[in-house]
Formats: sequence, structure tokens, C-alpha cells
Amino acid sequence: MQYVGSYCSCDSWFSQWCCNICCMDSCSVAWEKRKDYAKHSCWFMLGRGLKRKLSDYEENMAGLSSAFDSSRNLTYPLKRQLVLNMCLTKLQTYRMLVEPDLHRSVLIANTVRQIQEEMRQETSQQPVNVCNGIGLHSQNYPGVDSAGISAQLLSGVNQQESNCCDSRSAEEPIENGLLMVSDDDMSSAISSILKDLDFMEDISPPTCLVPAGDDQPKSPENVGLKLEDDRQELKGAECVFGSFEISNSTSYLKDLAIDDIFEDIDTSMYDSDFCCPPLMPSRLPPATTEETLKTFPTCNSSPTNNIQICRTDLSELDHIMEILVGS
Amino acid sequence: MAGAGGGNDIQWCFSQVKGAVDDDVAEADIISTVEFNHSGELLATGDKGGRVVIFQQEQENKTQAHSRGEYNVYSTFQSHEPEFDYLKSLEIEEKINKIRWLPQKNAAQFLLSTNDKTIKLWKISERDKRPEGYNLKEEDGRYRDPTTVTTLRVPVFRPMDLMVEASPRRIFANAHTYHINSISINSDYETYLSADDLRINLWHLEITDRSFNIVDIKPANMEELTEVITAAEFHPNSCNTFVYSSSKGTIRLCDMRASALCDRHSKLFEEPEDPSNRSFFSEIISSISDVKFSHSGRYMMTRDYLSVKIWDLNMENRPVETYQVHEYLRSKLCSLYENDCIFDKFECCWNGSDSVVMTGSYNNFFRMFDRNTKRDITLEASRENNKPRTVLKPRKVCASGKRKKDEISVDSLDFNKKILHTAWHPKENIIAVATTNNLYIFQDKMN
Repeated sequence: MQYVGSYCSCDSWFSQWCCNICCMDSCSVAWEKRKDYAKHSCWFMLGRGLKRKLSDYEENMAGLSSAFDSSRNLTYPLKRQLVLNMCLTKLQTYRMLVEPDLHRSVLIANTVRQIQEEMRQETSQQPVNVCNGIGLHSQNYPGVDSAGISAQLLSGVNQQESNCCDSRSAEEPIENGLLMVSDDDMSSAISSILKDLDFMEDISPPTCLVPAGDDQPKSPENVGLKLEDDRQELKGAECVFGSFEISNSTSYLKDLAIDDIFEDIDTSMYDSDFCCPPLMPSRLPPATTEETLKTFPTCNSSPTNNIQICRTDLSELDHIMEILVGS
Repeated sequence: MAGAGGGNDIQWCFSQVKGAVDDDVAEADIISTVEFNHSGELLATGDKGGRVVIFQQEQENKTQAHSRGEYNVYSTFQSHEPEFDYLKSLEIEEKINKIRWLPQKNAAQFLLSTNDKTIKLWKISERDKRPEGYNLKEEDGRYRDPTTVTTLRVPVFRPMDLMVEASPRRIFANAHTYHINSISINSDYETYLSADDLRINLWHLEITDRSFNIVDIKPANMEELTEVITAAEFHPNSCNTFVYSSSKGTIRLCDMRASALCDRHSKLFEEPEDPSNRSFFSEIISSISDVKFSHSGRYMMTRDYLSVKIWDLNMENRPVETYQVHEYLRSKLCSLYENDCIFDKFECCWNGSDSVVMTGSYNNFFRMFDRNTKRDITLEASRENNKPRTVLKPRKVCASGKRKKDEISVDSLDFNKKILHTAWHPKENIIAVATTNNLYIFQDKMN
């Protein structure tokens, strides 16, 4: 971003910041008030190579949402995924609150259900090849397909870039796109939510158990996480987090030689998150999630219980972490 | 005169502004409700700190025949205090959600104010005389020994400085599990309803220890919950009829004569969705944030995120009029969803003759729609035009393309400056508009 002096669109006296990439301008007053210096969509799209935490993720979502609104280049599935992730993030945030707003929670949950229903109908009609250009096997899961999404995100990035800069052709190879974004927001989203899942179960038991007659105003009851053996069936209403029930065959972690997986990965960026490198977006996140999720037995404390308590098997997690980190 | 001419024939002028000047808004000062009483002489505001401030209109000044009386503070009192629900370990906010006036029957004024859980009936009375001349006490205030009192002296009322007292007369508590969003007084002036997210209760003004549940949409299994109640109101003339709106954009009209529990509606008002406008956020923006009957009782108005709709009670399948408040936001829904602005609950109101409706928007803009001329106007509540009788300049938002002079582009709008609460004097063209922490009063220009 560089300082350019000129007329501002809101008529106020202008020190004006101009984005290098798309030349979108606005007066500093408006920027200040929106506090989104760093959220300008172009700046975000370039990626900063910084480690992202959940709060960063949220900031980036702001950039993404303005990209959603302004850009026509985001494909419909990508937009849908964006919205889904925003919804899930919000629900996650509301879960942390002592008394979440029932009205908002219901609206967001309905939006999630609607998106999931749409995704389910699509995948039931045809196998979705979500990974154009990367050449991955098609996975029919109606969930967070970080591989496919990152591919689409990146193709979106490429097109955005080309529209903005006019310096690239639209047929930029995906590999270059992969290199452009040094972090994968989808997998970091998954990882942060899974981290929260860990957090949730630590404090859970009182909040999860809802006796039948009790009028708890806590609406997250109806967005409780349910992990079931049969991942293909999303139980409509309950499974707002059903997108994490990735329904595909699972054993490819075992099938692949570990060396193959980690050949060209720079492991120096790993931390203790489940964060996965973008260079191998295809299998690890879903598989990892899958494996991890598989270890969560469900428990139902009463017929009318709405949130199911999920317990991790910590030794299993450690095992998986070791594989990931490549120790 | 009141109601004569439409929203655009009237020239709106700044009259007064109440509240702190500085930009740093204290949380407790955020205005959460505004309501004129039935005569329009009193204007009540409630804030997030649980306080109610009542303004009274001055009697019209003979010398200044061209301006209506100003509103000055009449009474201020703490209506609700923060509470703690020990059973659920939840704090109950003291924010006043709604104020509704009772019609005046005697010298005192009565109003209902509610926070999330408790409704209170307040009596506001004036005292301008006090009895003087008792001979029962010593100089220092101690009571005299009765045997020393040898004369009977009747005290005399003497004038004193006006004192306005507010006292809570009834407290209606413990009837709502969820957050109260509406209260509405019945036309019988004996009963009223209170609505929370899932239930509506009917109260008698005299009885505080019980209420009747008249609507309950809580499903047996909370997982199946897909819809909540967002607003409710009694019909202005029929004491058996009320409506409630939902988060799915429907309004249900219920008749209390039909059954004790009005779970089955008599009428269901719903407009089919426009497929061309479908988006991921369609349901969220269809959620109705306010419902108001017209004074005549023939129509009702609903406010959803982007529009105001007027419904004829005789026609359920679509509204008779639809007014777009800020259609330019339709292309920004994702950003507005991300920063939660899409959940803002705007209110709406009718003018005294039901010819003009008003609602708020962002950037401290508010909009008026004249139902007869079909014209609309956008005005701004800001301190910049704060000379009395300054006519407000109409504002315009440029949605896209070339921005003309004086227009504001959508990207420059300040979404933190929202006008959620507005009120129109029941008889005259005086409006009260609440920004975050200031109350603006505008009048029409009298010639």
C-alpha cells in the first residue's frame, strides 16, 4: 500500500491510501474506521507467509468476504464454501459464549443446513471433481475438502491476480498458484476448529448435558458436534459440523509410504497444530481429520441430549502428530 | 397540520439533539428504545444502562408561534439493574429492550419497561405542592410528646418546585426463559403481552404472580428448532387479535378467542421468495426485525434487513407495498454477514395518519416513504446541521458507477453508525431518531 494524495470518494479531506495491486482507493478516515488496513482483499490474496491463528483467520475472512462481494471470479462452490466456513466459525465463537444469541444461532444453523443440503444433493447426483488441474482422485465428500478448495481458492487467486494486474494469463498453472499462497487457510480453519474441539471437551460435561425438562437458552444444543461411524449420512438438523464428517475411504495414510508424502515438504513451518502444508493439500488434511475423528466415540447421555461429548484418545493423537511432523 | 402532505412535501428541520457530544460512546449510554406517549407530550428513551429518560414537550409558546415546544428532561430513573441468575450462572443485562406507554387515565403517567427477563410498570407522577404547617414535630424533627400538643392545626398545601417521581408499581418477573423482545398493551388497557424468542405470555396489569402462555413454538427437541419469534404486537382495536413475526419472514395473526394456546394461527402472512434474489443469506435477511400495526388497524408493517413491507390484514399471500430501504447493500451481504451487521434489528414506525412510514439505516441515515405519492427521502442525523430550523438536506447513496457530487458511495458508509430506533409523534410531524448515544428531534418546517 502506498500513500497517494487525491480526492476521496466520501468527500472528506484526503490522505489516501492506494492499494498497489488493484488501485482501489478510499480515504483514510474510512479505512481507519473499518480498521481493515490489513484486510484489503488484494493484500490478503498475495499472502503474507505468516503463521495464522484463529484470529488471523477471522481477519482474513474479512478479506475473503469482501472478495466474495466484489469479485465475480470466485466460483459458486468456492463462495459456498466460504460462507460455510464463516458460519462454522461464528457458531464456534458462539459456543464459547456463556449465553449465545438464540436468534442468530438459529439463523446461522439454518444457513449451514441449507448449504449442506445443497452440497449433498450435488454429490449425490454426480461425483464431483473438485480438484481441477491437480489431478487428484475425486472425493465425494460434502465437507471441507481442503484440497479442492485450496485449488479453487488458488485458481480464484490467479484469476483475481490476472484481473488486477493484467500481468498473468488465466491459465496459470496451479503449481505456481500453490507457491503464491504459503499457508492454507482451509486446513488452518480445520485445525483451529479441531483445536477448539479439544478445548471444548475439556470444559464440556456441564454444558453438554441438558436434562429433558430444562429450558436452556443455549442454542448450540442444536449445533452440537456429532461424529458418527457412518459418515455418509449427515443427520440434517443436528450436524452443523457435519462437514467435518468426511465420508471417504480412509486408509491412504497407511497405504502411502511416509517418505513419499514428505519428500518435498518443508517441515520447518510446522507447529503443534494440525496445520498442513499447502504443497500436499490433497490427502493429509482430510485423512488426518478422518483418522482423528474416527477415534472419537460418540456418547449420548440421555435421549434428549443434544450435544454429544467427544473424547479424544490422546495417544492416538500423539501418534498421528508424529506422522505429520515426520519425526 | 399532522399528516398533511407526504414525506417529501414536508421539509424536515433539525430541532434538538440530546446526549453526549464526544465520539467516545459509553456503553451504558447507548439508546435502546424510543417511544412517544399517546398524546405525544412525553417522549421516553431507554438505554443499555437500564435507565429511562423521559422528555416533556414545553407548552407552546405564544410569542414563538412558529415553532413547537421543545422537549426537555422531565424525569430520569433507573428502571432495571443488572442481575445475576444464580441457577444458570448467567448475567441478566439491564438494557431496556422496549418501553410502552399506557394511555393516561388520571394525573399520573404509566409505562411498561422491560429488559431481557423482567417487565416493570412504572408510575410517573408530579408533585408540585406539599403540606406545611404540621405541629407534630419539634424543630429538629423529633416527634413532640403528644401531651404537649394542645392545638389542632390542619396543614395547608403550599406550592413547591415541581418534582417528578417515578415509582415501580408492578414487577412482572420469572415468566420468560428466553430474552424478551417485545411488549404490547392490549386495547382493553387491562392486559398486555410479552414475547421472547420462543414464547408469548399474556399478563393482567394488576396481577404479577402469574401469566398465561398464549404462544409456544419451542419444539420438543431443541435440535429441531429452525424458527424464533422476533416481534409481537396487539391489534390496536381488536382486543382478541395479535400478530407475531418470525425469523423466517412470516407473520402469524392469532385470535385469542379460538383457543387458549394460540399455536395455530388464524392467518399466515408470507411472501414467496423471489428466486432471482436468492443467495446464501436469503433466510437471514428475510428475518423480520419489527412489526407494527397502522393506527387504523387495517394494515401492518414489517421490517426485514433490506426492506419495509406493508401488509393488508385481508391479504396473506403478499404485501401490498414494499419499500427498499438500502438495496445497495444486497451486493455486500457477505461482508455484512462477516461483521455481524446483517443481524442488526431495525425498527420502523408509522406517522399519525398512516400515510408515511419511517425506518433507519446505516451512516446515521434514516428513510421515509410516502405511501400516497410513492416518494421517499433519505435524511441524516448528524450534529453538523444543528441549528434549529435548518432544513435537512436529502442524502443519496451511490450504489455503483459514477458518483455524483454530494452522493456517498456504499464503501464510505459507516456501519457502526446505525439508526435502529425511531419514533413518530402520534399527532404532529415531530420525529425522534436515536443514533448510538444521541437522540435527535426533527420537526417539519412551519411557515
